[in-house]
Parts: sequence; C-alpha cells; structure tokens
Amino acid sequence: MEPLIGMGVLALMGAAATVAGASEDLESDVGSQSNPNSQVQLAPQMMYPHRIYNKAISGEPPSNALMCAIGGAVTSVLMTAFSMSILFAISIGALVAAVVHGSYCVTAYMGRTASQKRYKQPIYLDIIRSHVPVMIGYSFITTFCIIAIAYMMTAILDHPFPLTLLAFIWGITIGAIGSSTGDVHYGAEREFQNVEFGSGLNAANSGNIVRRAESGLRNGIDNSWFCAKFGGPVTGIAFGMTVFLSGWVTTVFDASISTAVGWMSVVAGVGIILLLILWNRRIEVSARNAYGPYKEEDDEEVAA
Amino acid sequence: MIDIVGILTANVLCVVLITLGGMLISWSVHFVPVGGAPAAMAQATGIGTGTVQLAAGAGLTGLVTAGAMMNMTDSMALVVASGAVGAMIMIGVTMIVGTWVYVYGVGVPPASAKVDYDPITKDRQDIYVSQGTEGHGLPTVSFVSGIIGGALGGLGGALIYYSLMSVSTGLTATNLVGLASIFAVGIFFVNAVIPSYNIGGTIEGFHDPKFKKWPKAVQASFVATLLCALASVLTIGGL
Repeated sequence: MEPLIGMGVLALMGAAATVAGASEDLESDVGSQSNPNSQVQLAPQMMYPHRIYNKAISGEPPSNALMCAIGGAVTSVLMTAFSMSILFAISIGALVAAVVHGSYCVTAYMGRTASQKRYKQPIYLDIIRSHVPVMIGYSFITTFCIIAIAYMMTAILDHPFPLTLLAFIWGITIGAIGSSTGDVHYGAEREFQNVEFGSGLNAANSGNIVRRAESGLRNGIDNSWFCAKFGGPVTGIAFGMTVFLSGWVTTVFDASISTAVGWMSVVAGVGIILLLILWNRRIEVSARNAYGPYKEEDDEEVAA
Repeated sequence: MIDIVGILTANVLCVVLITLGGMLISWSVHFVPVGGAPAAMAQATGIGTGTVQLAAGAGLTGLVTAGAMMNMTDSMALVVASGAVGAMIMIGVTMIVGTWVYVYGVGVPPASAKVDYDPITKDRQDIYVSQGTEGHGLPTVSFVSGIIGGALGGLGGALIYYSLMSVSTGLTATNLVGLASIFAVGIFFVNAVIPSYNIGGTIEGFHDPKFKKWPKAVQASFVATLLCALASVLTIGGL
C-alpha cells in the first residue's frame, strides 16, 4: 500500500476516534454511567434526592463493547448478505446499536431508581423522556465512528481481524479510556462543585453531590454541558491518540519491507512512551509547585 | 472423533506458550495503578476505573497491533514486541490524559498515600495528599508501573495470539484468524479477572504492599490458562 494513503487513512481514523471519544464521555455524563454514578446512587441514601439520571448499565467498557459489537455485526451482515453500501450499512448498524443501548438506559434508570423508593427518590418520567434521546444520539455517534474505524482497518489497512471483533475491541478500549479520563472530570469536579476547587475531596463528603443547577435543578444534560468543556474533549484526544499512535508506528515503519524496519516501529513506540513519562513528570512537578502541599512539612516530619 | 493425544503432542509448545502468556497477563495487572470508583472522585491514587477494564483495554489494543504486525511478518519476537508497544501506548496515553484531568480539571497534585517518598523521584508524597483521601493522580512511580503493566499485558496477549495462530489446523486463514483472536480475547479476560481478587479495587503499582500478593494470582492463572489452552488448542487443532 502507498505510505501516503496509509497515513491519510490513519489521520481519518484518528479524527473519527477523537469524535467517538468525546461523544462516549458525554453519553456517560448525561446518563451518569461508570464510577461517578456511585455518588448519584448514594445521594438519596444520604437524604439528598436529586434529578440526575442514574444509570449504570455495566462498566463503560462492556457497555460500549456491546454497542459496538451489535453495530459491527449488523454492518457486516448488511454489507455481505445484502450487498449494501458501506455508508448505509454503518448508519443502520449504529442506529440498531444505539436503540438497543437506549432500551438499556430506560431499564437501568427505572430499576435503580425504583429500588430507592424507601429513600424518597422519585422516578421522573420527564427526565427519561428528555435524557434517553440524548443518550441514543451520543451512542449513535460513538458507534458510527468506531465501526467506521474498524471498517477502514479491515478494508484499507488489511487488518486480519474481522470487522465485528475490531469494533468490539475498540469498544472495550474507548470505554476504558472514557471511564479513566473524562469521567474523573465529572466525578471529582462537576459532582462536587460545592467544595473549593483544588481542596481535594474528603471521603466524608460522599453522597453530598451538587443538586442545584446554573438555573433550576440540575440534571444529566446540565452535567454534559459542563463536561463538554474539558472532560469530553480530552477523552476524545486520548482515544484519538491511542488509535493514531498505535497505528502510526506500524504504518510508517512497515514490517513487510524488512524485519529491521519492523523493529524500528518498536523503537519508535518506546520513544513515544518515554516522552509520555517525561511529560507526566513535568506536569507533576509544575502541579506540586503551583498548588503546594496540603500540610506543613515540619508537622509531618515530627509525626514521621 | 478427533485425535486428542495427537493434536496435543503436535502442539505442546503452543499450550506452554499460551499458559505462559496467561501468567504474564495475570502478573501485569498488578502493575497497573487503578483506583476504581474512589479514584474517579480523586480520593485514591491511580486511574479512575476498574482493574479488569483498564488491563483489558490496554491488552486488547496491544492485540490489535500484534495482529496487524503478524499480517506483515513471521518473526515471533517482532509480533510480541508490537503487542507490548500497542498496550504501552494505550495505557501511557490514558494516564497522561488522566493527569491533565486531575491537575487542570480537578486541581489536585499527583500524590501517593502508600509511600512517604516516591521511590523513583524521591519526592515527598504524604504532605501532598489532601485531607480525607487516599492520594490522587498519578505520581511518577505509578506512571512507570502502569507502563510496565501495559507492556507485560500486551506481551502476554500477543504471545497467546501468536501461539494460537501457530497451531496446526485444517482451517482456512480467515477462519483461523477469527477463532484465534476470539480465543485470545477470552483468555485475556480470564487472566485479567483473577488478579482483581488480590487487588480488591485499588492498587498504586509495584510499590503498593498489595503487589507482593502476585504469586497467588499467577498460580491461579497457571491452572485456569492451562485449561483454556487445552480447550483452545483442541478446538483449533481439531477443525
């Protein structure tokens, strides 16, 4: 394959991955999926009933993997058995996956909230009506982009794995990245804007989440509005970088030319990792200098 | 009826390598700094997600890279190394972006609650831990530990995939890839789950006291992966 075509496809995959990452994180913020949901679930038990959508269908990776695998399977069938064009096949595949996801969103909210009746937490039907279409929309974008990535990998980059399996694997990966990066912005900052920025989050505050919005009572869509400013985009950058860099090393240093070139791809990958370690160290040092210690140094030395 | 003894004697090396790969994955998970739900609220050091999920995300990215590499070369060392690189890239990128969120989005410096001084940078840790938390973010030692975990996990996953692809079989190439990759993913998950009983939700990396428990998980993985290896080699070899 022409190296330029390979790089072009890779760039397109990186762009699709960035969009997918952002929409994946915002979907989990609207519905409050993944780890920060523990606080949304806990709040009514601490006498803080709220209007935030409460769904944790499962961990984000299995949930996204299911969506992407359903979408990938439908796309494959439509392409091979019905000879449908790829654009329509991906669209219909993503739509089916998004609707399946939407049905899980409804049952998860109903089930979780109904179990909190004894804590006086109401089930808001208007919340279901307003939030579920938003989540279906976000999950459609995520699934569409992931299947497009999987299709480009199989059809153009000649990846040996079947399309559905690639979609499944990228679904796991995007969920792992989304719950590791963007969700922290939702869980540690948005849910606890009532404590001073940078003061850390004392475990004693658990369950005391912010329930009032910029206007009215806060719901999941307010949360995605806030997280779309930082958590969502950085999740997109993370997934885009993962797809792009892991493909870049094998595309630029093509091992089919010779084994030596293949080893250069490994060296390039290790070089990227070393840069990331140094970058993390720089951020760590600047954060320690900027924020400073929480306790006096002398007290701790006596205690130690 | 398939010739069970014949298939196993012909592919004994594959069974050994698959088992070794599974044990590597099990060991690797102990290196990955995960803080589960507390870390998602910046109340524990590490990445704010579950053990299995992050290890699987990294390892499977490695598997995708290894699969791409195996299409281009027959060199086992290169395939396995590419798996490690793919997994390291995924976990490295996730951790650096996680650091952005902790530092710029939440406003807390990376700090470990398990050690007073970072074993790598020798920086004081305890005074940077905010009140009522078990640390937050990813100090250098956790970051490096995560990279090592990603490398070992990717290595293990790629080793399993390479071994399954090397089993002598009557399958066509496309079917073999499909079956081998799905078995590799399955075996990966089995071995990513076993160590989570040791970790119990949170671990900071190789400097965490919980890390010392790894031999138990690796022994359990040996038994579980051996059974998986026998099942997968018999399935692929018998078709």
